[in-house]
Amino acid sequence: MLRFLLRRLMWFAITLFCVVTISFFMMRSVRGGPFDGERALDPAIERNIKARYHLDWSLPKQYFQYIGPLNLDEHRAELFGGDGAKPFGGVLTLEFGPSFKYKDFTVDQIISQSLPISALLGMVAMMWALALGVSAGIASALKRGSRLDLAMRIAATGGIALPNFVIAGFLIIFFVFMLPLLPVAGWGSVKHMLLPGFALGAPYAAYIARLTRTGMLEVLSQDHIRTAHAKGLAPKTVIMRHALKGGLLPVVSYLGPAIAGVLTGSLVIEKIFKIPGLGTHFINSALNRDYTLAMGVTILFTVLIYSMNMIVDLAYTMLDPRIDLEDM
Amino acid sequence: MASPKDSRWQFGSGNMERLLSEVAAHKGESLWQDAWRRLRRNRAAFYSLVFLILFGVTSYLAPLLPIASPMALTLQEEPQPPSWPWDNTNLETSPGARATGTVGSVLNNGWRHRSVVMFTSEGGVLDSVEAELSEMVEEVSGRTTAVNRIEAKAGKPAQLFFAIPNRRDDTPRTDWADTGNTGEVTFLRAEDKAWLVLDLPIDETLFNSWSTVVSGYDGSIYFGTEAGDDAGIRFRFRLSERFAGTVVGLTLNGRALSADGSINDLELAEPVIAPLEWDGAEKEGDTPEVPAALASIADAPIEEPTADILAKFGKDEFLLLRGSELEEDTRVVVQSGASDRTLFVRTRVDAFEQQGTFHNDLKRQIGTALQGLSLSDGATASLLDVEIENGYWELGTIDQAMLSARAAMFGLWQTGNWMGTDSKGRDIFARIVWGSRTSLLVALIATLCSLIIGVTYGAFSGYIGGKTDNAMMRFVDILYSLPFIFVVIFLITLMNEYKVELEDNFGVEREQVFYLVIGAIYWLTMARVVRGQVLSLKNSEFIEAAKVLGASTPRILFVHLVPNVLSIVIVYLTLTIPAVMLFEAFLSFLGLGIEPPKVSWGTLAVDGTEAINPLKIFWWLVFFPAMAMGSTLLALNILGDGLRDALDPKLRGKD
Repeated sequence: MLRFLLRRLMWFAITLFCVVTISFFMMRSVRGGPFDGERALDPAIERNIKARYHLDWSLPKQYFQYIGPLNLDEHRAELFGGDGAKPFGGVLTLEFGPSFKYKDFTVDQIISQSLPISALLGMVAMMWALALGVSAGIASALKRGSRLDLAMRIAATGGIALPNFVIAGFLIIFFVFMLPLLPVAGWGSVKHMLLPGFALGAPYAAYIARLTRTGMLEVLSQDHIRTAHAKGLAPKTVIMRHALKGGLLPVVSYLGPAIAGVLTGSLVIEKIFKIPGLGTHFINSALNRDYTLAMGVTILFTVLIYSMNMIVDLAYTMLDPRIDLEDM
Repeated sequence: MASPKDSRWQFGSGNMERLLSEVAAHKGESLWQDAWRRLRRNRAAFYSLVFLILFGVTSYLAPLLPIASPMALTLQEEPQPPSWPWDNTNLETSPGARATGTVGSVLNNGWRHRSVVMFTSEGGVLDSVEAELSEMVEEVSGRTTAVNRIEAKAGKPAQLFFAIPNRRDDTPRTDWADTGNTGEVTFLRAEDKAWLVLDLPIDETLFNSWSTVVSGYDGSIYFGTEAGDDAGIRFRFRLSERFAGTVVGLTLNGRALSADGSINDLELAEPVIAPLEWDGAEKEGDTPEVPAALASIADAPIEEPTADILAKFGKDEFLLLRGSELEEDTRVVVQSGASDRTLFVRTRVDAFEQQGTFHNDLKRQIGTALQGLSLSDGATASLLDVEIENGYWELGTIDQAMLSARAAMFGLWQTGNWMGTDSKGRDIFARIVWGSRTSLLVALIATLCSLIIGVTYGAFSGYIGGKTDNAMMRFVDILYSLPFIFVVIFLITLMNEYKVELEDNFGVEREQVFYLVIGAIYWLTMARVVRGQVLSLKNSEFIEAAKVLGASTPRILFVHLVPNVLSIVIVYLTLTIPAVMLFEAFLSFLGLGIEPPKVSWGTLAVDGTEAINPLKIFWWLVFFPAMAMGSTLLALNILGDGLRDALDPKLRGKD
C-alpha cells in the first residue's frame, strides 16, 4: 500500500515537473504576449509592466521564481538578504503569480473563486451520472430483454454518441423555453445547477448504465448469487448486498476517466450556461493570451486528474480483494 | 462396407475435380473472410457501415451536389424555417427563364464565383425595364443571367439584381502583370506643398479614379476603373516617404486631376502647376547636370545635415533627396526663379496592369452600355454596383473540378433550403454536408497520425523489450496522466502566435497543424494495445523462424508482427475516430479549431446554441446538425462494437 502510494507520488512529481518546466519555457519563448497591443507602450510603462511580471529577469531566474519555493523578489527570503516579508512563493507554495490579463488579480485568487463553482458543477454532474446510470443499468440488467431494457440501451447509445453541447442545446429548448421551468443560464441556486449538471453528466450516465448492465449480468449469473437466492434471501437483499458490489466494479474503474472527462467537459458547458467557473477562465485565458492563468489551470488540472486516478485505483482494491496494489 | 471397387477410390478425371471442389469448399476461411461474414450477419453494424460509407461519400462529393453554398451570406432578419427541397423559386433552370423570389435568395445562390449587378430604377413599367436591362446585361456579359427584383415602395426606387455566373476560366484572382509601359513621374515641391506631374502612356478617359499608396520609399499610383479595386493600372515608383501627406495636386498628361481621387472632376483645390519645364531633349542614360550644392547633399551623411545644407534647402528637401537618391533613374534639378525653394524629382515608373478577369471590367462595360441605353416609358435606371460573389473558400484542384462538373450538370439549379437557414441566411443542409466533410477529414487524418505513431511506437517497444520497453512505456504513462485537452489548448494558443509565419514560410495552415496536434495525442492507447499484442506474439515460432532466416528487425516488425495485430488495431481505430471527431467539435466549439467561414460540426453547434433565445425557437438550427453528428457518431460506435465482435478470435467460426 505504502509502496504503491510512494511510487505513484514519485511519478506524479516527475510528470508535474515536466509539465511545469516545458510549459514554462514554451510560454516564455513564444513571441509576443498579452502586452503587445495595437499601440506601442511608453517605455517607462513597459518597464514597469515587465518589472511587475519579472519579465526583465534572466530566464533561469524567472523559472526559479515560478517554481519556488524561495521568493527571489526584493521581498525575498532573509537568507538571501531580503526583508523576509514574503519569503516563499512559486508553484511549490501553490502560488501561480499574477494574471497577465486580469491586472488586479493573482491566478490563485481567480482559481479560488472559480474552482468551487466548477467542483460543484462536476459533483452535480457525477451525481446525475451515477444516479441515472447505475439505476438504469441495474433495471435493464434485471429486466434483460424487456422493452425497458431496449429503451435504456437505445438511450445509452444515443447518450454516448451525442456530445454534451448538443444535449445542452436540446435541454435548453425543452426545459427553458418550451416548458419554462428552469433558468437558462447563470449560477447561484440549485435550479441553475440542474441543467448544466445533467448535460455534463449525460454521456457518462450512458456509459455507466452500459457498464453496470454488463457487470450486473455477469455477476447475476455467478454461483454465489444462486446460493444467496437458494438460501431464501429476499431478491432486494441479494441484489443490494451481494450482486451490486461485484457488478459495480467496472463502474468504479471507469470513475477516474469519467471525473477527468467531466472536468474537461465543463469547459464547454460553462461556456453555454455562462457559469463563471474554472473552464470559462481557462478558455478566456487561452483566447486572451493570459499565459500565467492558462498554466496555473493546466497545472491544477494535472494535479486533480492524477489524484482522482490514484484514489480510484485505491478504491478499486478495496472493492475487489483479488487485485493487488503491488501489481499496479 | 466399402469395396475396393467403390467409386470413391477410382480416380477418374471427374473425381479429381470433385475432390478439388470439396477441398475448396472445406478450406478454412481466413480471419478477414470470417470477420466480414460475421459483420454482415450483425445487422446493426452492417447498416452502420453502409450508412457511414454513404455519408462519407456524400460529404466528399459536396462540391458536386446541387446544394447552396455553405458560406454565402444573405441579409435577413432571422433564420428561415425548412422548406421543401423543390420549393426553390429563386433560380432559373433554363436559359432565358426568369425566376422571382427574395433578394436574398439570388445572392444566396452563390454556388460559384458569380457577379451580381445591382440597378435601381424609377418610373416606367418594371417588367419592361427588367427585360431591357436583362437584355443589355446578357449582351455585355455574353451569359445567361438570373434576375431578381424588389418593387418600389415607400419612396424607395425599385431594385433589380442580375446574377451572372462566372466560368472556370474567369480567374477569380488577378495578378498584376508588367505591361512594359514606362512613364515618368515628376515631383514638384514648393514650400510645404507638393504636386505630382505624371507623364504616363495611358488613356485617362478609361479611368475614373486615382489613388496613391506610399510605403517607405516605394510608392505607386493607381488608376481605377469603375469595376473597383481589382481592375486598373498601377504605376510603381520609388520616391520619398515625405511624398504621401503633402501632395495637393496631380496632373496627368497635362490634365489636372482633383485631389479627392476622382478623375472626372477636373476642378482643383490648389492652383494647377504647369507641367514641368523639363529639358525635353534630355535622354535616358544622360547624366543630368546636378548642381554642386545638391551633389554635396547626396554625399553628405544623412543623419547630420550640415548647417550649410540646411541653410540652402531646409530639412524637408533634404529628406526628400535621401529617398530619391536611392533610385537610379531619379534626376534632381534645382530650379531657381519664381519659387526659390522648388525641387523637382523625376522618376521613371513602370506600369502594371491587372489581367485576365471577366468581372473586373464588367462594371465599366455595363456602365458604358447603360449610358447608351434608353429605357421605354421614360424609365430611368442607374447602376448601383457590381459585386463579385464567392460562395466558397479556397478550394483544392479536385474540388474546383467537381464544382465545374456541377456547373456543367446542373447549371444554376440548386435545392431549396430544406433544412432551413441560419441567422446569416446560410443553408443548413449545405453547411451540414460541408461541415461533415471537414469533421470526417479531421477525424481521418488525425486517426491516421495516431495510427502511424501508435503502431510504430507500440510495436517497437514491445519487440525490443527490456529497459527500452520500460522507459518507453513510462513515457506513455506520463503522457497518459496529463489533462490533454488543457495541454492541447495551451499548445494551440501558443501556436496562434506563429500562425502567419507558418503560413508564409512553410505553407502550413493552422488547420493542418490542428489535425496533427490532435493526431499526436491519440496514439497513446494504440501504442499500449499494440505493445501488448506484440509481447504475446514475439516469442512465437514464426517470429523465431523469421529471425533464423535472417530478417531484420524492421522487417520482422512490419512484415510479420504488425499484420497480426491489425485486427485489434482496426477495432481500436473505429473507437478513436468518434473520439477525435468529438474532440474536433469540442475545440471548434470553443473557437480554437476550425475558423469561420469554414464550417465543421463544432462551428455548426456554436451557431445552434447561439441562436437559442426565449422569443422564438429555431429548432432546425439545433436539430439537424445534432442529428447528423449523433447518427454518425452512433454508427461509428455500433460499427466499432460490431467489429470487435467480428474480429474477436474467441468467437471465430461461431455465429
